Amino acid sequence: MPDGSVIGPSSVVRGNVRGEGNLEILGRVEGDVSVTGDIVLGESAGVRGSLSGASITVAGQVQGDIRGSEAVLVEGGAKIIGDLLAPRIGVAAGALVKGNVRTEGEAPLGAGRRPVTQGLRSPSFAQKPVPAPAAAPAKAVEAPRAAPSEPEASEKPAAKKAEGERQAPPPVVPALAKGAKAKKKKQRE
Amino acid sequence: MAGTLIGDGLTVEGDLTAEEEVVVNGSVRGKLTTTDAVSVGSSGVVEADITGVSLSVAGQVTGDVTASERVDLQSGGRLIGDVKASRLTIADGASFKGNVDMDV
Repeated sequence: MPDGSVIGPSSVVRGNVRGEGNLEILGRVEGDVSVTGDIVLGESAGVRGSLSGASITVAGQVQGDIRGSEAVLVEGGAKIIGDLLAPRIGVAAGALVKGNVRTEGEAPLGAGRRPVTQGLRSPSFAQKPVPAPAAAPAKAVEAPRAAPSEPEASEKPAAKKAEGERQAPPPVVPALAKGAKAKKKKQRE
Repeated sequence: MAGTLIGDGLTVEGDLTAEEEVVVNGSVRGKLTTTDAVSVGSSGVVEADITGVSLSVAGQVTGDVTASERVDLQSGGRLIGDVKASRLTIADGASFKGNVDMDV
């Protein structure tokens, strides 16, 4: 019978912890933790490494990815630098999370709900988290492209409607070089 | 008292350092150091050097043991390694292979 394990508040593990059963971490772990049961991280706990388990409750600090086959619950006061991945994810007020958060994986409540939740998930993730980081690099990438490459540049932004409409005008206008290039062409011809 | 409990089925690979009681019913590979007692249960397997105040072995231990107070090797327990402790008991039915230094 796999009984629950405890890493006490004054205990430090430098290495990996893996196995069966539930695990309560009150101390520190510098390494990866992987168990088949649930993981509870107390307020005093700190983990530098990935956490993998069924249901993972975090009230302490984690620097690493957290992957729950059932759920990841982040309590107030918790501090996480790393990605969260589980079918169910809860983040309480007062928790600090820095990383990618994804609710996916095998949903334990049967297949009936999955299409609905997936349908709701994909657009909301496409709109919320993606544009913020993606918009900035997209401008930087497309602007220089528009300037040097001549006629194709005007076609590319048009094709990428959503991104192109806002970003196209500024680079296109200074790309009055088009006129100059056209002149060059005429000269060649 | 909470302490640290490595339950049956759990494996720690690496150093385990504690300032509290450590109970091992699972397995520990690496190094086990505490300022308190260490207890290896009948299902416990430790392949590590152990340092602590006292050590009780009912499972299997492979590694050198240093205890500031005592080492108790219980019946069914198995210890392979050198023991350094001021007190040592070996119960009938226990297995032991190694040197003993009682700091005489």
